[in-house]
Amino acid sequence: MEAPPVTMMPVTGGTINMMEYLLQGSVLDQSLESLLHRLRGLCDNMEPETFLDHEMVFLLKGQQASPFVLRARCSMDKTGTPWHLRYLGQPEMGDKNRHALVRNCVDIATSENLTDFLMEMGFRMDHEFVAKGHVFRKGIMKIVVYKIFRILVPGNTDSIEPLSLSYLVELSVVAPAGQDVVSDDMRNFAEQLKPLVHLEKIDPKRLM
Amino acid sequence: MPVAEGKSVQQTVEILTRKLELLGAEKQGTFCVDCETYHTAASTMGNQGQAGKLMYVMHNSEYPLSCFALFENGPCLIADANFDVLMVKLKGFFQNAKANKIESRGTRYQYCDFLVKVGTVTMGPSARGISVEVEYCPCVVANDCWNLLMEFMQSFMGNHTPGIPSMFSNKHDSIYSPGDTMAQYMELFNKIRKQQQVPVAGIR
Repeated sequence: MEAPPVTMMPVTGGTINMMEYLLQGSVLDQSLESLLHRLRGLCDNMEPETFLDHEMVFLLKGQQASPFVLRARCSMDKTGTPWHLRYLGQPEMGDKNRHALVRNCVDIATSENLTDFLMEMGFRMDHEFVAKGHVFRKGIMKIVVYKIFRILVPGNTDSIEPLSLSYLVELSVVAPAGQDVVSDDMRNFAEQLKPLVHLEKIDPKRLM
Repeated sequence: MPVAEGKSVQQTVEILTRKLELLGAEKQGTFCVDCETYHTAASTMGNQGQAGKLMYVMHNSEYPLSCFALFENGPCLIADANFDVLMVKLKGFFQNAKANKIESRGTRYQYCDFLVKVGTVTMGPSARGISVEVEYCPCVVANDCWNLLMEFMQSFMGNHTPGIPSMFSNKHDSIYSPGDTMAQYMELFNKIRKQQQVPVAGIR
């Protein structure tokens, strides 16, 4: 019952901007096992971790041309975990030599009434999907291999179907801005996964 | 449960804290609860024609890693401290009414199973009122301990003991959560904001 150690207000100004460094690739279903096998060997020793998440993407439309996008994610298999709210900024276009896609990211853990709250703020759900897969770690790098499922009836996560015959592979690091050495480390790790999977910097704008 | 009192703010705070110390309460550091107001920017409301909404983002030193966001009569979101960073990103859609920032700072006392926080409520440079928060720690259902809380409050607040807060009329038996505390602070701050500059005795 003692006073909490921080009795002054937490400093909210001057927070460090975190960036997400990302490399993506994919493997066909039949190659999944070999990839998982190699990842188990290369990555940090830990219990194999699988996940089943439901992600909803919300948009807030204003007078600006592009709406504000927020991603709300909750675990479908682990009860009691907080919801995860994520903001991802536009990819930084600077250095063509940089090996990974870099974008501003803000990650927030929230209580379970997140979707109600976002609706109250004026956000509307644009689309949702279920992601099922495996997660590995190597130091600060996170490697996720997952399959995306389309939700057939909005809001009903029991009736889902796979979106494709492949698994999406993402190698990401969340680090403070300006740490370009991170993308070099990522590229080196990605080399070790060839030829099973080719991880590269994919600019989302070029796909649209 | 916060309560507002009047007269000269500084003196009343001293009277209250002296009474608490006489009772045997131990001083245990300081506390701070603050509340910022955001309103939806005109640009988002254009096509919908609804009135702009007010969103309150609050912090409580009792929960230093959390941020509370609430709408009046609406849901209360409990998030981690990064929520403030998100609000900065959202500044095109939600504007911070900086002049409306209100906070309560003061001393935290522990008396057996009770936690009492007496704070001076300030808006900008001026002191606008007093908040008294009393928490009975072992109990999580409001209805079960309301009478005990009342009795305890009477011992140092006398006639200024408040009645049962309005939000408990609907949910006597549900488990109490920090969101409920923040909602009560929000109501108190709103009440104080509407009062005149010179605080008048107001009871919740």
